[in-house]
Amino acid sequence: MQIHRIVRDLVTTKRNFWLAAKSLRVVEDHRGNLEVALDPIGAKPGDFVITIGLSAARVAAGNPKITTDLTIGGIIDHWDEERWRS
Amino acid sequence: MKICQVEGTLVATARIGSLENRRLLVVKERGSSGKQVAVDPVGCKPGDWVIAVGSSAARDAAGSKDYPSDLTIVGIIDYWDEANGKAGA
Repeated sequence: MQIHRIVRDLVTTKRNFWLAAKSLRVVEDHRGNLEVALDPIGAKPGDFVITIGLSAARVAAGNPKITTDLTIGGIIDHWDEERWRS
Repeated sequence: MKICQVEGTLVATARIGSLENRRLLVVKERGSSGKQVAVDPVGCKPGDWVIAVGSSAARDAAGSKDYPSDLTIVGIIDYWDEANGKAGA
């Protein structure tokens, strides 16, 4: 799993059937690279989250048929930017 | 399998149900700068050198095929001499 920070919401009205009605978030890693993750929890911009990748992302989404390769698994209680970037 | 060093525990109260109440650790892979989060079914201490499996083997290693982990610790290395980059007493 990786540690990411939520940047903002992402809205895609026209989407693949197997993405269903799941919410999406733009997340960034410690280098500032942006990625899109599926969010089953409801994280807010600025939250540090654990993201699950690879095939476990599909399991984490609740249905192995959901087409995702990055899913948010939890919101980290205590984390700071300095620790993240070091 | 990857060789990682354990940095500390990670607390995430709001988590998806399928992650259950498993212990999560922040680990640093040997030779890389980025931090990763691994599921710990073994019981490691900060500073331990461990081996961790990725991809779909991580799900099995965490105990079941339906567990959503992409990095699971499978063992603690008894002796690791970081200066030489190889295991030895």
